[in-house]
Amino acid sequence: MKHNNSLFIFLLISMSFSLQSVRAQEKTSPGKTIVSLRYYNANNSVQYLVLQSQLKKEGQITPISGKKYDIFLDKSDPANLIAKVTTDKNGKANAFIPPTMKSAWDATSQHIFMVYEGGEEIISDYTISKAKMSIDTSTVDSIHSISASVQKWEDGKWIPAAGVEMKLGIKRLGGVLPAGDEESYTTDSSGNVTAELKKLNMPGDSKGNYILVAQVEDNDLFGNILAEKVVPWGTTLQPDKSFFNKRTLWSTGIQAPFWLLFMAFGIIVSVWSTMIYLIFQIVKIKKNGLQESA
Amino acid sequence: MENSTRIQEQQIIKDLLPQKFGKRGMTWTVILLLICLIGGYAYYRQLRDGLVVTAMRDYVSWGIYISNFVFFVAISLVGSLITAIFRLSNVKWSTPLTRIAEIIAVSAIVMASLIIIVDMGRPERFYNLFLHGRIQSPIMWDVIVIATYFCISILLLYFPLLPDLKILIKNKDKSGPGLNKLYRFQGSFWKGTKEQFRISNKSINILCILIIPVAFSIHTVTSWLFATTYRPGWDSTNFGAYFISGAFLVGAGSVVVAMYIFRRYYHLEKYITELHFEKMGRIVVLLALLYLYFNVNEYLVPAFKMKKPEEAHLVELFTGEFSVMFWFAIMVGMIIPIIILLFKKGRKPLPMFIAGAMIVVGAWFKRYLIVTPTLLHPFLPMQDVPLSYQHYFPSWEEWAIAMGSLAAALLIITFFARVYPIIPIEETIMEQNKQNEKDEA
Repeated sequence: MKHNNSLFIFLLISMSFSLQSVRAQEKTSPGKTIVSLRYYNANNSVQYLVLQSQLKKEGQITPISGKKYDIFLDKSDPANLIAKVTTDKNGKANAFIPPTMKSAWDATSQHIFMVYEGGEEIISDYTISKAKMSIDTSTVDSIHSISASVQKWEDGKWIPAAGVEMKLGIKRLGGVLPAGDEESYTTDSSGNVTAELKKLNMPGDSKGNYILVAQVEDNDLFGNILAEKVVPWGTTLQPDKSFFNKRTLWSTGIQAPFWLLFMAFGIIVSVWSTMIYLIFQIVKIKKNGLQESA
Repeated sequence: MENSTRIQEQQIIKDLLPQKFGKRGMTWTVILLLICLIGGYAYYRQLRDGLVVTAMRDYVSWGIYISNFVFFVAISLVGSLITAIFRLSNVKWSTPLTRIAEIIAVSAIVMASLIIIVDMGRPERFYNLFLHGRIQSPIMWDVIVIATYFCISILLLYFPLLPDLKILIKNKDKSGPGLNKLYRFQGSFWKGTKEQFRISNKSINILCILIIPVAFSIHTVTSWLFATTYRPGWDSTNFGAYFISGAFLVGAGSVVVAMYIFRRYYHLEKYITELHFEKMGRIVVLLALLYLYFNVNEYLVPAFKMKKPEEAHLVELFTGEFSVMFWFAIMVGMIIPIIILLFKKGRKPLPMFIAGAMIVVGAWFKRYLIVTPTLLHPFLPMQDVPLSYQHYFPSWEEWAIAMGSLAAALLIITFFARVYPIIPIEETIMEQNKQNEKDEA
């Protein structure tokens, strides 16, 4: 607010300020590297980690690409190396827990992930407890209900995980659309949540299917867990082809409406033909001048 | 009598021939070049690192560059006002101002074209606009109309320059071999025959008729870039007329500033007289009142209804983040100049210059206020964006490029005034001769 309020003053001294800004920016520190790690368990089948490396400089956060990291499970021994990763252009790198580590993974209910960069420890305490999630549905008197249950691995068996916050909804292009009235739900003592589907007649695919999602995000104990189920509760999506191949304002350039083409090109041709005529007048003036000289 | 007329002609030519830069001229040019160089370096950084060097993010994707573009487009309208409208209305007193107005128009439209390319993240893909352009898009109309307006403005600058080129070639000892070569290339064929004058006058008349609808189009289309977008502050049917009236005002203001500077530093008091300032003052005050009227329309009507999304936008302007700038633009850009110019004493050269400068500065901020606050208030706010995205303050690269473009526009005018007569010599002589004949009669 302060910045914009002082904007007009800024212009009046703009050049000196610009020069100061140049100097100030040249003098700033190299910035701080922020490395974060996230654990994902999708549909109880694939467990993987996402590492993100970012640079915080001059109040801006930018991804660091091409940086190499080693990710370990529990200990920084070579035998416990999950993967050597390199960050992509978004500063991210994925690492799947390999099948060779199954015995180490099954040995305890809780694991620590460690991240090293060139022998230097970056993350040492990212702890995850093993958990799984399932999603189920039921329909009574045409009322659809969705239930999800979270279980954690403790003392060699799966037990209900209470107090876990999750989203329960329908998978849409931009995220998860809450299925019921609440934005999020918390599991009860039996590790369950139930929501009645309030979003009726949502568009599905060509068969009327859509995907229900139960999603735990950045939980301190369990990380990110996701369970999905396809249900035929949606309306059948019939792509609207009524405008396809028609001349409209929102079609491709080649399908512009005739009235617009006539108007636009009519104006362009009339103005530019006049201008060509005027350029021809310069040629005429030139010819007349040359005749006069001769 | 003939002898005295010839002496008068010689005096006019002597007064109006382009003058070499003095110390002040050199300093001015060097400063402008330096600003351009800093802008060039900033643009190099932008090309190297991408638009991330700017402060534009997901919310404000049109920042200071587009504000600057709208400003340049607005200022370019002056060519059609002073040259075309006055000529067609048979207003004779504007003769010394026509070339000043035209060169301001040309320099502004050149910089408008360039600054829009600067706003592109991948300028090397510019050609795709022509290969895959959609005639349905107002952006495409803008590209077409800017190119057209530029060509018309160049022609309108060139035709009246032809008789002056003959005078410049004749006085080659004053210009030097380099410039003389340029003059010969551009106009050695002009012999001043009756036929040449006939063709030239006819062409100028056609151009004057042609430039008015094109100039109106350029401003209307630029306003449509905003008005065809459903957003608070832009969703208005008033926008075309609002932009045109604003453009007339800032264009006239810029001519007043240029008149004062050229008059003072080129000692043109005999040609740009107090009468010119008096008449321009009346025009400027009329245009300022007109623009103020459109502003009242533009803000009062939505403020009366206070629809929720409009409210957030208007509160930001009236009392919020942009309030100081908003009231500065209204007061300095319109109300104070109106007060100054309503009085006869205010229409003297110096007060006029101050009022003109205020109008131009106020107009620049007005364009910023048209573009930025609206972008900060979308109907559907984005989710999960950093807080910093919801504010915009241009980075030093953006400032340097914007200032560089303004300096470049001034540099074009400066170089033009160094190379060509800033007041049409031939037309001034003809007007003088007509006046003499009238006096004799």
